[in-house]
Amino acid sequence: MGPTPHIAVIGGGSTGAGIARDLAMRGLDVTLVEQGNLTHGTTGRMHGLLHSGGRYAVSDQASATECIEENRVLRDIASHCVEMTGGLFVKRPEDSEEYFQKKLNGCEECGIPAEVVSGEEARAMEPHLAKDIDKAISVPDGAIDPFRLVVANAASAQEHGARIETHSKVTDLIVESGEVVGIEVEHDSGPGKRVHGTEGGTEEIRADYVVNATGAWAGRIGDMAGLDIEVRPSKGVMTIMNIRQVDTVINRCRPKGDADIVVPHETTAILGTTDEEVEDPEDYPEEQWEVDMMIDTLSELIPMLDEARTIRSFWGVRPLYEPPDVGSDDPTDITRDFFLLDHDERDDLPGMTSIVGGKFTTYRMMGEQIADHVCGKFGIDADCRTADEPLPGSEDFSVLRDYMDEFGLRSPIGRRSVERLGSRADDVLKTDGPNPTVCECEGVTRAEIQDAIEGSGSDLNAVRIRTRASMGNCQGGFCSHRMASELHSEYDEPVVREAWDELLQERWKGQRHALWGEQLSQAALNYALHATTQNRDQDPANGDPVDFSAFDSGRGQTGSSVDSADVAADGGTDGY
Amino acid sequence: MSDAETPPETEFDPVAPNTGEEFEPVDVFPDSDDFDLRPGADSCYKCSTCDTNCPVAEVDDDFPGPKFQGPEQWRLKQSDDDHEIDDSVMDCSNCMRCDNACPSGVPLSQMHNTARGEYVSEQMDKLSVEYIRNRILANYRTSAFFASKVPRLANFAMNFGPARWVMEKTLGVTSERDFPAFAKQTFRDWWADRGGQVQSRENAKAARKRRGLPEDADKKVAYFHGCYSNYNTPEVGKAMVRVYEEFGYEVVAPEQKCSGTPMFANGMLDDARRHAETNVSSMSELVDEGYHAIASCTSCSMALRQEYPELFDIDGIDKVAENTFEAVEYLRIHEDLKGEVQAADVDGDLAEEFAYHAPCHSRNQGLDRQAVELFRDLDGAEVEDVGDSCSGISGTYGWKEEKYEKSMEIGEEMFEHMEHAEGETGMTECPTCAMQMEHGSGYEIRHPLELLEAALVE
Repeated sequence: MGPTPHIAVIGGGSTGAGIARDLAMRGLDVTLVEQGNLTHGTTGRMHGLLHSGGRYAVSDQASATECIEENRVLRDIASHCVEMTGGLFVKRPEDSEEYFQKKLNGCEECGIPAEVVSGEEARAMEPHLAKDIDKAISVPDGAIDPFRLVVANAASAQEHGARIETHSKVTDLIVESGEVVGIEVEHDSGPGKRVHGTEGGTEEIRADYVVNATGAWAGRIGDMAGLDIEVRPSKGVMTIMNIRQVDTVINRCRPKGDADIVVPHETTAILGTTDEEVEDPEDYPEEQWEVDMMIDTLSELIPMLDEARTIRSFWGVRPLYEPPDVGSDDPTDITRDFFLLDHDERDDLPGMTSIVGGKFTTYRMMGEQIADHVCGKFGIDADCRTADEPLPGSEDFSVLRDYMDEFGLRSPIGRRSVERLGSRADDVLKTDGPNPTVCECEGVTRAEIQDAIEGSGSDLNAVRIRTRASMGNCQGGFCSHRMASELHSEYDEPVVREAWDELLQERWKGQRHALWGEQLSQAALNYALHATTQNRDQDPANGDPVDFSAFDSGRGQTGSSVDSADVAADGGTDGY
Repeated sequence: MSDAETPPETEFDPVAPNTGEEFEPVDVFPDSDDFDLRPGADSCYKCSTCDTNCPVAEVDDDFPGPKFQGPEQWRLKQSDDDHEIDDSVMDCSNCMRCDNACPSGVPLSQMHNTARGEYVSEQMDKLSVEYIRNRILANYRTSAFFASKVPRLANFAMNFGPARWVMEKTLGVTSERDFPAFAKQTFRDWWADRGGQVQSRENAKAARKRRGLPEDADKKVAYFHGCYSNYNTPEVGKAMVRVYEEFGYEVVAPEQKCSGTPMFANGMLDDARRHAETNVSSMSELVDEGYHAIASCTSCSMALRQEYPELFDIDGIDKVAENTFEAVEYLRIHEDLKGEVQAADVDGDLAEEFAYHAPCHSRNQGLDRQAVELFRDLDGAEVEDVGDSCSGISGTYGWKEEKYEKSMEIGEEMFEHMEHAEGETGMTECPTCAMQMEHGSGYEIRHPLELLEAALVE
């Protein structure tokens, strides 16, 4: 066997991380590059449904069958990312009985365990369902944390020798003699873990093969080599509720439509979604009516949503693809299946394959097929082990512990921490020093924050997706500065300040779409606290050096310049 | 656990109206204690005002405070059977000051009570000393019932040094405190001897005539005296009856049990529910007949008004809650109480200067300034507010051996203010606050109704 081939994987979403893990486990050299954080693109912007396949059981049975297979695999290899909530397809009186039967039969045909429950039984399971629902089909839907899953995939790839570069944007494909031989990337802060303020730079990464797993961004990568990859990005909005109104995934049992699913996710419930084609995966309108429509429509299933608190909304873009000859007008008609585009076969440009379409639940299966394909190119005959080997954190573990005795943590905080960390809990939570709670909303302690910082550098958004810190009801109002101080003393003040600012900006972004009622109160309180205690109301301390001599020395001090100064250092009672 | 069982139903002589006769207990919602309070967390914006108002958090560094106990714990709560409530919920004294402090309407005490009930029923060892001790303390009424049969012996035995030493060592009931004395005659015995409702009707009629009111005026109240006025301080109950009759109200003293306050605080929700069923059934029938429920203990009125509908789903419970009032509050609403007090004067026993402490539970009902303002213009007596701190005893909390020191630390501010106040007699509406005031200052403690009686009743 010749030298080990080096594969460059572009895209740090579920697909890219899954491919990287698979290839690394088969012994190949892998470099994964991602322009932002892991999950930065579509993966970090989904509702967190682990499909049973039920949603596709009528319209797309091939996908449905794959979903139920992968659903079972992920429960096993990614147990610390999955909560088996179960799911219901709920039929309201106005919904079609014929479709309900089709759904039921479809589930049976695809091997999805499905059972009809009466309206009364459904309400006994989920008391907040509308009183007038007819009946429901119960299926093995679940909730899955896409952040944790991708981070675990990347960590596993790393354990198998892969190099993972986040905040490294591909600026060009290197084509030599009609073949893709590498990528040119622009590191935001130098290679390795991201540290704010570190000078970035361009790096040429030579590779024996390039895999383009950039989803909705695949067309952009293609353009760099003059390839035409017609991804049709389609946006969908998701709204996060402050608490879980339901503990089961609730789907509306009717043909595809907007606003038909509620997924209980960690401490929250996520409402989804819409499906509308957009031109540019990074620049599309986020409109309030989309949020309003979701809450209104889903209130038909769960009336209390109407009055419930939302903490933020976000939009994601699906990387939909269909072969050019199909020509669907409506994005909801485009298949959810994935396509492997070998540019050698398709465009006579060897050295690269793009993967487009597909869905999160089947990310591992997609990774397996790509890895098979790549291995085939090099004549490597290695078995795929990703379906059998648990991800880091998902080795045998139990969440039932004596949290107080073992980790010194209060029950709900210990429980949530162990659920997030899985089999890594002992390593992370057994610390000698004090371990205060940093994020009270989500129950995240210093030990978990420190563990995340160790893995991701000074990037607090990367800490956030690993721990859920700042993702609760105050949206970072009470913990962003605590998270930032955890970066000290490893990182200096300017780095900490930049990381902190970035986290606050990100937290603010999603809250803009939830500013009424309780979340408006929350935002107002956060603003007041941050302005008055952290100088976040545009005091010059945030910018140019402060001219302290311009301030007087206070009321009643000798040499006071209160009378003459034009600066009211007492807060205004004297000056104005 | 025989000593914690409910005494037989025959314990009270039937005093008209015997509302129990027509009562058919129906188990409507067997699982009604399983309220999902997660949505209550929607109102919390984490400001921590509750934590800064929590008297326990102030003295107990291990207590995480009401924000954690309430909205945070509920939001983190999980629906599976293995979910555990953190044991720190047992360190909450249930003073309910957090309810009052919250600017955003988070149902804090409801969250605490419900979580505590779940903790006690699911996680607490029913054979542990703590459980047995808490159950005995929570069921004070049961002990008081037996003690009142032999008050002299009970008063001796309950404060007999060696016995108290044993109680502290085996049960964890502090020996620092003196048990309150049991009355020689309970309020209900006095009430029955006096002629019960029939006599009250006559007294009320005579008073209405004296006052020039229509003889058939519809003035009638149902007195919820609670355990303490019955077994320990019947003078408060008697004062209530005499004051109300003076204003022309006919009083009834319906069948009743413990309001549940000490049971909520100890997570004994099953006990509390059983007692609440009796109370709601007798009070709701009377409410239907036009009576209002009147309590002289502010924790009893709090229980009927707020905790009952928050924790239980019993037929008529909302109606009872809406029609329950504290004794002085009700007269302030319906009579010219201030005018009559202004015109009156007191001499003798109660011509005193009082150091008044407003109980936390009165604060939650907006009654904390009532006594001070009402008696401001009364000749012969002065009432001075000793500030807005918590007395620290919070019912059974300060009786627990491991909580005693904290209870006294919380009470320190009140003791100091009592010391600085002019008077050397204390005043409060709450029986256990009274115990703490007496314990910390040595003062005798009176109830505002007693002063009202001295001022207004011949």
